[in-house]
Amino acid sequence: MALLQRGRCCGAAATTSLRRLVLGPQGRVCESHVCSQYRASSSLPDEKKEFLQNGPDLQDFVSGDFSDKSMWAEYKGNLKRQKGERLRLPPWLKTEIPIGKNYNKLKSTLRSLNLHTVCEEARCPNIGECWGGGEYATATATIMLMGDTCTRGCRFCSVKTAKNPPPLDLNEPYNTAKAIAEWGLDYVVLTSVDRDDILDGGAEHFAKTVSHLKERNSKILVECLTPDFRGDLKAVEKVALSGLDVYAHNVETVPELQRKVRDPRANFKQSLQVLKHAKKVQPDVISKTSIMLGLGETDEQVYSTMKLLREADVDCLTLGQYMQPTKRHLKVEEYVTPDKFKHWEKVGNELGFHYTASGPLVRSSYKAGEFFLKNLVEKRKTKVI
Amino acid sequence: MDVLLFFSSEDKVTVHFINRDGDKLTAEGKVGDSLLDVVVDKNLDIDGFGACEGTLACSTCHLIFEDHIFEKLDAITDEEMDMLDLAYGLTETSRLGCQICLKKFMNNMTVRVPEAVADARQSIDMSKNS
Repeated sequence: MALLQRGRCCGAAATTSLRRLVLGPQGRVCESHVCSQYRASSSLPDEKKEFLQNGPDLQDFVSGDFSDKSMWAEYKGNLKRQKGERLRLPPWLKTEIPIGKNYNKLKSTLRSLNLHTVCEEARCPNIGECWGGGEYATATATIMLMGDTCTRGCRFCSVKTAKNPPPLDLNEPYNTAKAIAEWGLDYVVLTSVDRDDILDGGAEHFAKTVSHLKERNSKILVECLTPDFRGDLKAVEKVALSGLDVYAHNVETVPELQRKVRDPRANFKQSLQVLKHAKKVQPDVISKTSIMLGLGETDEQVYSTMKLLREADVDCLTLGQYMQPTKRHLKVEEYVTPDKFKHWEKVGNELGFHYTASGPLVRSSYKAGEFFLKNLVEKRKTKVI
Repeated sequence: MDVLLFFSSEDKVTVHFINRDGDKLTAEGKVGDSLLDVVVDKNLDIDGFGACEGTLACSTCHLIFEDHIFEKLDAITDEEMDMLDLAYGLTETSRLGCQICLKKFMNNMTVRVPEAVADARQSIDMSKNS
């Protein structure tokens, strides 16, 4: 509390001297205003002074206590957006600031090898957890191939966009393989931006990275989260046959909201075809997709989408909360509660998905899914076909 | 607090935006600012506007202009046309806001923000091209 009072005195003195230094001819007009401001603050009503004295301390802000899980059910804030409103972040979405040895080590390794992660580019809230290693001490990162600039501007994604991004780094497949081998990662997710400016959408580049990786370390499990290659199934085939274990492609949202949420060059049918085709050319591969909730979809729409995905023989599904990355992007229409996510997880399991990862902070390559998938892929490998 | 009384107002342009829900938003920009700059800098409440940050890689800044303003706009480039073609609800006087820079003759013009998509509450028949 003393901190506050001391601060006020110092601040006032500083303001006075600053006033004389910075303001020129306009100074006279501002001067009186600042003067009166200063005078007003030192004559606060007693009850205000008391209010400030009993208010939060610096300690409260740096104590590191996160919202108690038991309090989530009591959260009274608005969860469904009203017109003109911007929803506040509910407590179950508040995460730790990423710090730590593992996090820093990963960050410097990436920079030195000139690699990009979608974790950083798309501002993932789990970056601290995944890079930090979590409970199983398996640091996971999702490497973004083909640069950090995309040729599409979807309204949910903050990855940089340009009409003609810089050309591909031809050393990237080799460097990526080398880096991952250096880390000793046993599960890696490779993803990329959309490169509509390249003839095959970057499929060859993608496939080469996977095969280099498998060459260096045949035991490594590779998941590829690919673009839709504009529906070019030959490109899908190239990646599917590169030796990967999991083929992932995100449908992002229900069919009714595709046009609003994604770039118009993307659509549900095309994305579903990508997933179906990957399975067709490589039956051993595990297919995976992801949906964001909170963009205005209804429960019926989500359920029917899940059914459609299961019918297309998609093996794994992840559901997460959409969070608005910058002010240029779509506002969050609804914050779905953790209980609701658990409900969708149950529905997914009932529908027959091998795995349904569902939670507010779950993302397509969230670590929990990887751990499970690792088991799943191992199981499949040892099964006699 | 407005001490900018002696600031020249000759390069200021006022634009009215009719939002998707019918609300009228009025904002002021400088000559040379793009309409996207105005929307972003003035924090106008237009959902998902300018996703690609003005790099002609999306059509989220699609705006509909009044006829007499549209005629006087600079000619459209091929790159803008490619993206504009993908926009929902295209009209004869549509342009992408990131490519239109404010000029004095635009003062007090009204632009309309078109619907981004058909009413999402209607379910779509999956047999059609989604």
